[in-house]
Amino acid sequence: MKDFRIELESRGAVQLIRLQGSLDMYSFPRLESQLQTLFQQGRYAIMLDCSLLDYIGSAGLGALIGFAKQAREHDGDLKLFRVPERIYKIIELLGFTKVLQVYATEDTALASFQKP
Amino acid sequence: MDPAENIDIKKSTSRLFVRAPGHGSSLRPIRTIITDLARQVGFPEDEVAKIEMAVDEACANVVEHAYEAKRDWFWKRLNPEIRLTIHTEADRLVIQINDDGRRFDFASYRPVNLLERIRAMRSGGYGIAIMRQFMDEIEYKSDDETGNILRLVKYLKKS
Repeated sequence: MKDFRIELESRGAVQLIRLQGSLDMYSFPRLESQLQTLFQQGRYAIMLDCSLLDYIGSAGLGALIGFAKQAREHDGDLKLFRVPERIYKIIELLGFTKVLQVYATEDTALASFQKP
Repeated sequence: MDPAENIDIKKSTSRLFVRAPGHGSSLRPIRTIITDLARQVGFPEDEVAKIEMAVDEACANVVEHAYEAKRDWFWKRLNPEIRLTIHTEADRLVIQINDDGRRFDFASYRPVNLLERIRAMRSGGYGIAIMRQFMDEIEYKSDDETGNILRLVKYLKKS
């Protein structure tokens, strides 16, 4: 599947995941599988770089809030940063930003995990 | 072979016909076709994004539910496909999505409150609510002759 790429980087206790392409019903199982693996390893602090995403469908959004919920149950979270304006407008309009934390930059997203 | 390579597009003077494999890999090229067309018709970008998502949700439902192979369902065709017929009228864009898969059970469907579902952090069940929110009209019908037909309408003047 060449339309969707996932890259992992570590930022200390926080797992950074860079997403590229379309996160739709076809591609989201790959991210789902990756997040399940991280959770099994006890890594519940996740931040997603969305700057190279061109689309998120409801399957992707549903998966993200499902994983954010699981992460919070383990004192972690799943946060987004650098969400393209076109995508941000849609997810804000639908209400997903009421439960998903979205940050402008990688630094602010990372810093948010370190707050008490 | 990537099923998305089998997408067939035909144009008449007033309509665009798209035939795509009933497979998840068709979703992205279908979105590209729809967004290009919506821009050509004159929708502003915010509305193009809504039309894109509504059509994607509709086609994803076909792939995931109508053609879902794990349940007690056998495809009527060996090569299940999604067929889109798109045309414009004076003040609207009309997108008809046709499949030959399992019928959607409207009798048991209960509209969901999108925001309540999001606040409850549910992981699925958003598709129809999003279509309803982003399109001006949504109509579904199904019978043995025509298969399943979902008609989505977006008005230009409401944008």
